[in-house]
Amino acid sequence: MTKFFPKALNTIIFLILVIQTLIYYFNTKSSTKVFSQKSVSVENFSSIVLSKSGMTKIGSEKLNKIDDNNISLEGISYLENSKYKIYGSNIFIDMENDVSSSKDDVEVINSMGILNAESFTNLDSEGKILFKGKVTFVSHD
Amino acid sequence: MTKYILIILLFIFKYAQSESYVKAGDSLIWDSEKQSYTANGDVEFQNDKFIAFADKMIAEYIEQKDKEVFTIVELFNDVIIEFKDEIFKGDYAIYTREDNIIKLTGNVSIKSPTRLLTGYELIADIDNNKRILNSADDESLVEVLLDNNAKN
Repeated sequence: MTKFFPKALNTIIFLILVIQTLIYYFNTKSSTKVFSQKSVSVENFSSIVLSKSGMTKIGSEKLNKIDDNNISLEGISYLENSKYKIYGSNIFIDMENDVSSSKDDVEVINSMGILNAESFTNLDSEGKILFKGKVTFVSHD
Repeated sequence: MTKYILIILLFIFKYAQSESYVKAGDSLIWDSEKQSYTANGDVEFQNDKFIAFADKMIAEYIEQKDKEVFTIVELFNDVIIEFKDEIFKGDYAIYTREDNIIKLTGNVSIKSPTRLLTGYELIADIDNNKRILNSADDESLVEVLLDNNAKN
């Protein structure tokens, strides 16, 4: 009995150490994730991205990186390239599918004129921009 | 003094430039690959020649000297075109900028202060002040050459 007790005690201590190691490992892992999410929120942001329309300059009052392929431009935001200039707010960008969209009022300037709409979806890979709601396009044709 | 003259000249130049517009009640799609604009729902289109109303519009454009210019405008369903004191109506209309001709088909009518004519097809030649109205079976044809004094 006296020989069995120390062995049992050692086994229990070993198990406790293993459990503590696991707890430490998982806690450390989750805290890293939180840290990385906080690090991708940037204020007064502007950058250049490469899309089918060429180099597009994007900017906003605040940028939130949702994941590797999705970002959201919060507050007053813009997308500018050689084909168009889009000025709006709260623009969501799907980098993987080259799609940007907003449910807020938008103004677009292209080589033909100025367009105002209530929302937009820009399918950049197809070369199409869909404007919804009341749309007014004044051209200098 | 020179500064004021320049400002006035800029103001005059701004308003001397022709301006057209498209208004849509539901949606508008800008397709830069097909070089077209498609407008849906209570569409209103105006250029320096006429103002048009329809349910749907497809306008094609070309690029000239880094600017886009409408070349063909198609109008669908309940088309109304107001050109000076004339009103054209039809189910479908197509305007080509190159020859300045509006062609309407469907239940077509042409209304002016002095007459109302109806038919199946109307060809309005704006530059030559000419209107050709055909019936559906081509049995009747009305060709009207407007007063030469009436300028476009």
